[in-house]
Parts: sequence; C-alpha cells; structure tokens
Amino acid sequence: MVATATSPDEATSASPGGPTRAAGRRWGTVALALAVAVGLLLGYAGGWLTPRLTRPGDTSAEAGFARDMTTHHTQAVQMALVAFKYGQDPAVTQLGVDIATGQQGEIGIMQTWLRQWQLDPTGSEPPMAWMPDGEQLMREGGLMPGMATKEEMDKLEAARGHELDVLFVTLMINHHLGGIHMVDAILDRSGNDQVTEAAQRMKNTQQGEIANMRSILSRIQ
Amino acid sequence: MSVSTPAGDQRRPSVVSTGKKAPAGSAKSSTSGKSATTDKSGSGSARKGTTGGGKGGGTGKGGGGKGPRKPITPVKVSQGRNWGPIALFVVVGVLAAGIVGYGAYAAFQGSRSWEDRASDISGIVNYREKDPSLTQGGQHVQGKVQYTVTPPVGGQHNQDWQNCMGDVYDAPIASEHAVHSLEHGAIWITYRPDLPKEQVDKLAAKVRGTEKMLMSPFDGLDKPISLQAWGYQLKVDNADDSRIDQFIKTLRVNASVEGPTALCAQGITATGTEPRNLQQPSTEQPMQQQGG
Repeated sequence: MVATATSPDEATSASPGGPTRAAGRRWGTVALALAVAVGLLLGYAGGWLTPRLTRPGDTSAEAGFARDMTTHHTQAVQMALVAFKYGQDPAVTQLGVDIATGQQGEIGIMQTWLRQWQLDPTGSEPPMAWMPDGEQLMREGGLMPGMATKEEMDKLEAARGHELDVLFVTLMINHHLGGIHMVDAILDRSGNDQVTEAAQRMKNTQQGEIANMRSILSRIQ
Repeated sequence: MSVSTPAGDQRRPSVVSTGKKAPAGSAKSSTSGKSATTDKSGSGSARKGTTGGGKGGGTGKGGGGKGPRKPITPVKVSQGRNWGPIALFVVVGVLAAGIVGYGAYAAFQGSRSWEDRASDISGIVNYREKDPSLTQGGQHVQGKVQYTVTPPVGGQHNQDWQNCMGDVYDAPIASEHAVHSLEHGAIWITYRPDLPKEQVDKLAAKVRGTEKMLMSPFDGLDKPISLQAWGYQLKVDNADDSRIDQFIKTLRVNASVEGPTALCAQGITATGTEPRNLQQPSTEQPMQQQGG
C-alpha cells in the first residue's frame, strides 16, 4: 500500500534518478505480490496438511484401541447372538440382543475412524501393544483381557436353556470387566475427543450392564 | 501455521541489515539490472525496506528530500547484494518448501489405497482385474460349485459362511462356505496337508484370536501355502515369508465386499468339503464343534 502510493510521486518529481528508482519500486511491488502469493499458498498447504499429519498414526494408541476393541467387541457379539438365539430367561435373551446390536454398532464406529484416518483394520504391531504392559495382558490364543477361551466358547455354543443363561452371564461379566480395563487405558492415553467420548460411553454402558447381569445371575443361579 | 511463523520472524532482521549495510554497499556501485536482481531475489527485504522506509528512512527522505536526493538515490539503488538476508530468505524458503514437501509426501504415502499397496506385493494375483465377473459379489447356491481358481477367491457360494472368528480347522472345509467368509472380509489361509507342523503352528498363531481370519488344510495345492482374500491370492513356500503378514495387513477386512461389520460368527464350524446348511436346533444337535 505504502509502496504503490509513494512510488509514482517520487518517480515524477525526481526525474534524473527516476527510471532506475521506478524500476526498483516496480520490482518491489512484484516481489511483494509474490511474497503474498507464496505466503497464501504456504498457508493453504499448511491447512491442508495439518489434519493429515496430526491424525492418529498406524501405531497410535487410538488406532490400537480401535482395532483391539473391535476384536474384543466381535467376541461379545458372537456370545450375545448365542444368548439371543438359545437363551431361556427373557432377561437373558433381551440382554443378548442389546449387547449384540449395541457392540456391533460400536464396531462400525471404530472401523469408520480407521477409515477416516486412512489406516488398515489390521495393525502392524501385535495386539495390545498400544497399552502399557499390554502384551503381558494377552493370554494364550491371542486373547485380550476378559475374552473367553476357545473351550469356554465351545461350551457356550453347545449349551442350551438354563445352563446357557448362567454361562453367558458369567462369561459376559468377565468380558465387560476386561473391556472396561482397556477403555480406561485409552481414556488415560488419548486426547482425541472423538475417541474418548465413545470410550466413555462404552464404559458407562458396560458398567450398567454388569450391574444388571449380577442381579440376573443372583436371581437365576 | 508452523510454516509461516518462522518465515515472518526471519524476514524482520533483513530490514535491519538492509539499513545498516546501505552505506557499506554504496562503495560498490552496480548496474540497474543488478540492483533489480537484488530486489527480486530478496523479495522479503524489498518489501520490508519499502514499508520500513516510511518510518525510519522517511525522515531522511522527507527532510532532505528535495536537495540531496540525487546523492542518496544511487546509494539506495546501487547497493551491493546483501548476502545475509538473501541467504536467510533462501534458507527459510528451502526449509518451508522442505517441510511442506515432506508433509505432502507423507500424506500421499499414508493415503495410498489398499488396492495400490496390494499390487506392490510380489507374486499376488489380482482376480478383480483378471476376472471381474468372478469377484463382483456372490450369488447364493446350494450344493457343490465348480470353481475356476484353486483355492477359490470369489464367485457363487453357499448361503452359510464358514465361521471365521480366528478359527483354525484341522481338516479341509467346504470352499462353498469359505468363499462366503471371503466375501465378509476374511483372509483364508490354506496349506498343503504335508506342511511341517512347526510351520502350521506359525500360521495358526496369525489366525487364532483374530476375527476375519480362518485357516484349513487344502488338498492338491501346487504350493505349500496359499492365502485367499476376496479377489486376491498369494502362494508362498514358507510360513516365514514376510509377504504373508503384508497380505493380511493389506487385505483383511479391506477386501470385504460387505464391509467391516459383516459377521464371522454364526457360521458353519464343522469341517468336511461337502457344503451343508446350518442345522435346525429344535430337532437335531445344534452345531457341530470343530475338531481340535
């Protein structure tokens, strides 16, 4: 602004030094325009890049949580579908459909995060590596905290009636307790609101369900 | 943000040095063309020099403006190159370009599609390209299906899928069920029945506990190990081959036709290559348990 206002005045008033000076001023204006253009481009590039560079990476706790909680939830859905299909007590079948649809929905949410972050559903590190001492919490057969063993799952799939009700509720209480342990780990480690809000919702839901399952268990056992 | 801030800070000193160096530079006179280049290359300093002149140099100009302008004018225009600010500007420019360039490269690399990364795996066969009709999506049929690819990677299949909750089957399973599992996003690891147990165990460790994974022996394989995803196949000789993990990471769930929420539970858990339907629980023993 200043440059464009003064340079014509000075160029006309001082004729001998004028042409050189005017040329210099013109270059100054071009340079200023260039600098502004480059600055705007850099700003645009920065704005474009920032969300890409600050989103959770392949080995982040957020990505680890999304992947491992998907695996954890997937087993809960498997168990809950059995309870819904073959349970005897109405409270058990109702709980089964609630957990199956609720956790399957949460799997969709977590998988959508991974897609938004342009990450694969499969990690490049072992399961639970995002959690402090996480790998020590893994049990044989790739089981995360609270997950039922192959033998327990076989027993559940084969059980019917009252036996199934008791077995399902017992296994699912443990499953939820392990899941809440993993949720607490991500609540400690993540500052990503999208992730912590969803994790907190999972914790609230599962704590409520644990209370309900304990009362069912004491009633039917 | 982080890019533009240092640049702004760096430019400011160039104003100071321009003012200071002006007298020294006056000794070396130069052509107008040269001075133009100076101004151009140091666009930052040129701009600041102009605006700064409004305040600092302005008094000098305005005060003695009419009289001693002539001697002053060549001093301003013909000063020698101010290498300090130029170097600074170049360094900042290169740095900024480097940061932006690296960021763009990283963002580009990070956003390469799984299809592109799958094509990087040496030896992989992409049947989505070779035979698009095979991999569009599967019609549900009863009974045996004649598959053109062995083991199959897509096409018609039974309505019931093979359970793929990290299931490790110790006997061959029906391809008609396994193909349905592939459609749900599973990776199906098959191996020749004569594969050494120690290698079978290594493969099983990749499968157990992970949903959207299943594994079974397969008779008549031309290679010891064959991996299948919907529309993709990779055959390797050894369980230690690093391409196995690459295949799983790139294609598990990603290659699914139906997305990440397609079920792997509630499927067939029995072995045997003859396709079957899930039995009705009311009349018969509900679901057969897999052996082992």
